[in-house]
Amino acid sequence: MLLRASGQQENKEYELNSVTSEDQSSGVANEEHLRALTEAAISGDWLALPKIRDRAELAMGLQNTVDVLVVAAAFNGITRVADATGIPLDQNTADVTTEMREATGIQRFNYAEKTQRYG
Amino acid sequence: MYPAHLPLAQHLRDSHLQSWTQIGSPGDFFSARDRIEMVRVARDATLCEFCEDRKAALSPNALAGEHLSGSSLPNVIVDMIHRIRTDPGRLTKSWFDRITREISQQEYVEIVSVVNSSVIIDTLHNSLGLGVPTLPTAKPGRPQKSYNTGAVDDGAWLPILATEVAMADTGLPRVPNIARSLGLVPSAVDLFFTTFRPHYALKDIHLSISQAQAEFVASRVSALNECFY
Repeated sequence: MLLRASGQQENKEYELNSVTSEDQSSGVANEEHLRALTEAAISGDWLALPKIRDRAELAMGLQNTVDVLVVAAAFNGITRVADATGIPLDQNTADVTTEMREATGIQRFNYAEKTQRYG
Repeated sequence: MYPAHLPLAQHLRDSHLQSWTQIGSPGDFFSARDRIEMVRVARDATLCEFCEDRKAALSPNALAGEHLSGSSLPNVIVDMIHRIRTDPGRLTKSWFDRITREISQQEYVEIVSVVNSSVIIDTLHNSLGLGVPTLPTAKPGRPQKSYNTGAVDDGAWLPILATEVAMADTGLPRVPNIARSLGLVPSAVDLFFTTFRPHYALKDIHLSISQAQAEFVASRVSALNECFY
């Protein structure tokens, strides 16, 4: 929802399916590097990260590269807080993202479905 | 904790140092030694073969086994930490119910806070090629067992911070549910959000990347960790 809101503020429409699909591009600047840095940081691919960082730094500079990792690290923690507490979506978010959650596949991460699936 | 040449904001450096000191201090339900041990166990989890096998299984309940190393913490806590660290996308209410039959909800909240604060700090260190920081030194003192008796049932698995619904111009409540999630134990809220806050803002982000780039990264992490929120 916040990616969509950022697009609205910038008068741009970002492709939200890119969040769950590697085949689609979001339209966000330097997406290739954001994606590579994020995926390596979250999967703990520390051997690959130096090269990924170097490529990103060439394309968008050291400060941008570091700041991508700053955000990725934060969400690696906070997503676990959400997952471990079963915290529900904020009501407004739940109301306005129903279709988007279905379209992007995020709906399958909801707690009730997970409990059915995994026990 | 971070070398001076890296372009990291001073308030992030200060906050992480503060969090590390807090982890090395007694919490409300665990001693400093126990809290430091939680961080050590969370690090072990990333190398645990049983966790790797369990993550590959169709259901996390399909396999039984032993985790990488022993710990002074009870087995139920060790397993909880390994699950949160290695397979967060498959945590369920029934799993939570099983855990909280053996430990209190307050203890659960403190563990979630300590482990995930360390996840943020360790992920940033590793991502920047620094290796994880040395564990803090334990400070003496006893847990005070202080918690929020006014926490409310509002749809999460456990009682969360009570708050009035007031909307911000981000389209989210002024206090979004995630900020309420650890509200049963105020010191757990303080530790986690001291760590998290310098990394992100819902609007006018104070980083060199745009808000849209930050949201793309945040959304991508959520998808990778199969996070619904």
